[in-house]
Amino acid sequence: MIRRTVALLAAALLLVGGLTGCNAGSGRAANKQLIVAGSTTLLPIAEISAEQYRTRNGGAKVLVSGLGSSAGIEAVAAGTADIGTSSRDLKEEEAGLGLVDTPVAYDGIAVIVNPANPVDGLTSEQLRAIFAGQITDWSQVGGPSKRIQLVNRDEASGTREAFRKIVMDETPFEKHAAVLPGTGQVRDVVSRSESAIGYISLGFVEPRFTSRRVKSLAIDGVTPSDKTVSSGDYPISRTLHFFTKGQPKGLTADFTEFVLSPAIQDRVVVDAGFIPASRQAGAR
Amino acid sequence: MNKTTANRIALAVLWSCALITVAVLGALILYVFVNGVRALSPAFVFTWPHGVNSEGGIFPTIVSTLYVTGLAMLIATPIAVLAAVYLAEYAHQGKTVSTIRFAADSLASVPSIVMGLFGFALFVEAMGLNLSMTSAALALSLLMLPIVMRTTEEAIRSVPRYIRWGSYGIGATKWQTVSRAVLPAAGPRIITGIVLATGRAVGETAVVIYTMGQAINLPVTPLDSGRPMTVHLYLLASEGINLPAAYGTALLLMIMILGFNFSARWILKRYRKV
Amino acid sequence: MSDGSTTGAAEAVATEPVKRTPAVTGKLKLMSRATYVKEGVLATVFFLSAFVAVLGVALIFLFVGWKALPIVTSVGFGEFIGGLEWAPTDGSFGILPLIVGSFIVTLGALAIGTPLAVGTAVFLSEIASPKVRAVVRPAVEMLAGVPSVVYGFFGIVMLRPIIAEFSGGMGFGAVTAWLILAIMIVPTIAALSEDALRSVSPGVKEASYAMGATTWQTIYKVVVPAAKIGIIDAIILGMGRAIGETMAVVMVAGNAAVIPRTVFEPLSTLTSQIVMDMPYSTGDHRTALFGMAVILFAISMFLVAAVRIVSRFGSRS
Repeated sequence: MIRRTVALLAAALLLVGGLTGCNAGSGRAANKQLIVAGSTTLLPIAEISAEQYRTRNGGAKVLVSGLGSSAGIEAVAAGTADIGTSSRDLKEEEAGLGLVDTPVAYDGIAVIVNPANPVDGLTSEQLRAIFAGQITDWSQVGGPSKRIQLVNRDEASGTREAFRKIVMDETPFEKHAAVLPGTGQVRDVVSRSESAIGYISLGFVEPRFTSRRVKSLAIDGVTPSDKTVSSGDYPISRTLHFFTKGQPKGLTADFTEFVLSPAIQDRVVVDAGFIPASRQAGAR
Repeated sequence: MNKTTANRIALAVLWSCALITVAVLGALILYVFVNGVRALSPAFVFTWPHGVNSEGGIFPTIVSTLYVTGLAMLIATPIAVLAAVYLAEYAHQGKTVSTIRFAADSLASVPSIVMGLFGFALFVEAMGLNLSMTSAALALSLLMLPIVMRTTEEAIRSVPRYIRWGSYGIGATKWQTVSRAVLPAAGPRIITGIVLATGRAVGETAVVIYTMGQAINLPVTPLDSGRPMTVHLYLLASEGINLPAAYGTALLLMIMILGFNFSARWILKRYRKV
Repeated sequence: MSDGSTTGAAEAVATEPVKRTPAVTGKLKLMSRATYVKEGVLATVFFLSAFVAVLGVALIFLFVGWKALPIVTSVGFGEFIGGLEWAPTDGSFGILPLIVGSFIVTLGALAIGTPLAVGTAVFLSEIASPKVRAVVRPAVEMLAGVPSVVYGFFGIVMLRPIIAEFSGGMGFGAVTAWLILAIMIVPTIAALSEDALRSVSPGVKEASYAMGATTWQTIYKVVVPAAKIGIIDAIILGMGRAIGETMAVVMVAGNAAVIPRTVFEPLSTLTSQIVMDMPYSTGDHRTALFGMAVILFAISMFLVAAVRIVSRFGSRS
């Protein structure tokens, strides 16, 4: 929710006419400007990278906006943005646009249950049926006879969007599920309720700022981990891309390199719950 | 059941009602205090949040909150006090007055999210003020207006009649009487009303969330956007990851609001004695 | 405001060629033209200030209504108010589940909060010694000052796990919202009811005691009936507060836009859905949110009008 909201605000401000906070800053190096547009999922990484980049290379302006992956790809192809960020791969019709892909992080969505729940894994079909409200009891998937408590995310969430695309296909979500606006809340509810099930970014499965634990389920027999996500073996995963028109050069290359440096990868990317691209050398 | 037993039982029930009310307040304050005090430090108050999960301090949100409430108070107070003077001293009972009173009562009961959407539609979009301190302050001042109006009117009405007679008796005009005799006499109670309304504004969330914005920013000009403490707390609590910072923000917010509450009481007490 | 005392006023007045001003200005020409004009201008300024309130209400109604209007043409009023399906991404804009949710939450909160609040008010006005009152009364006022977002936060971190434990569910839903809202409306109802109870003439109470009635008999046979209208007004205003409450509800309700099957299941209300959806809504969806705001505004205006009607009815009988 925070991400999406910030994204919309940034977008609104950009559209209104470049009234973003950064033009209050340095007017000296106005000619050095980089426009990063696209995915809202990538927004926290892009924004914080931009902020740190600005303070390091005094004066370089990096304008970040989150309008959605498609808009980002469109913008970079049309030349209105230098970097298009995207949480999805290129579609067939976008393949011929001459875009170069630099993966900056991987996002694995872990399906979580209470540690006391004996169920250790589900198939994609079972998972879809659970979130569609067709399977309503844990006994139907090999667990104890208990009503399943569904925890969903709000519609503004990028995680929900990814889960819907990858897992649900065209099947609608069960409407009686609790709709929670944040990862931490989903985690907290599942950590307390033995019959609850939810989904969060893999990076948040291990406790942060808390001692409560949750258990991630294997999906189609694959346990989510940095390795299975970056290799693409774990089904509910995606690559977060930076797309550039041709090979990145100049300021674009410099910024991309900064995003791939340990300062961003090991801190910001991990903090946001994603898996650093640097942990997997080969592309998928 | 004889009447003494019934009386005893009833009194016990009434006592417990009052006790529950006080206990709830106590529990709330204690819970926020115990959990928040660990997060509280000079660094928490004076540094910026950083990173994806808002670690560090909440300085810009404190400034945004104080900025917007200060501005709202400056907008609402003169209008509200003059309006109260009109209602208490100038108006004749009739259709106009009852319309104004009905409007003020309605304004006081407008749900805060409705006020927020209104502010968004009028100030942010139609007037082109964008997400800014001014947009938020204008919406907040509409919320404060009826509160200050009511307390000021009551304060003016409680000024003894002989003070007015004395003033008129020595030849003062109506405005002279109001400005030099009535308002000074009602002063402490008016200020108490303003302080209480400001306290309400500090704690307001739904009005400011879509008029001020949510981007962390240190506002300088009235057209800058920002994120007030209440919105920061809401976002931290809904995201649910960095709860220590949420507790810290909640505690600071409570301290500020209790501060407003106590100073209002103190002003009233101090001047009542004089 | 510091420069004025009555003597100061007298000195200032003495220098001007004015003898006296009658209570009704403008009938007698005993002041100078300049003073007359000045007084007239000031009176107009005061009137205009007072009129800001009327202007504010009119602007809210017009602007929010204007923003909401397209939903009536694109979805239709009946479909909007009576539709059971709220799925904005699929183009379904039925808000009946949200209206039902708002009323479930409000009525439950009133059922819990009213006895507590009226009990506290009776305690404060009839039973408490001045010392006890000096503790309870400020506590009630401070409860009114606690921001709704803090109540909501308290609700998720403290109350929700308890309810979850108790019900075996997740702890989001009507019951959690009832408890939090009940606490929030206690100060509103208690303060106004206490005013009503205090305005009952002491003579009536003394007469009751003189006939040998106990404190409780006096309360429920004499004092409360005499203050009945004021208490009903207080409850109506408490209802307004509950139905318009936003942040606390969005945090504990669970936000499922359906009519819940049990009181321990997630539900959503008009206010909470607006807060949830506002950041990403566009087109008809945004319009629908403004439509919901119009409905909330209409309900709150209706409640204010209800208070007036009840009061008028009360003063007549």
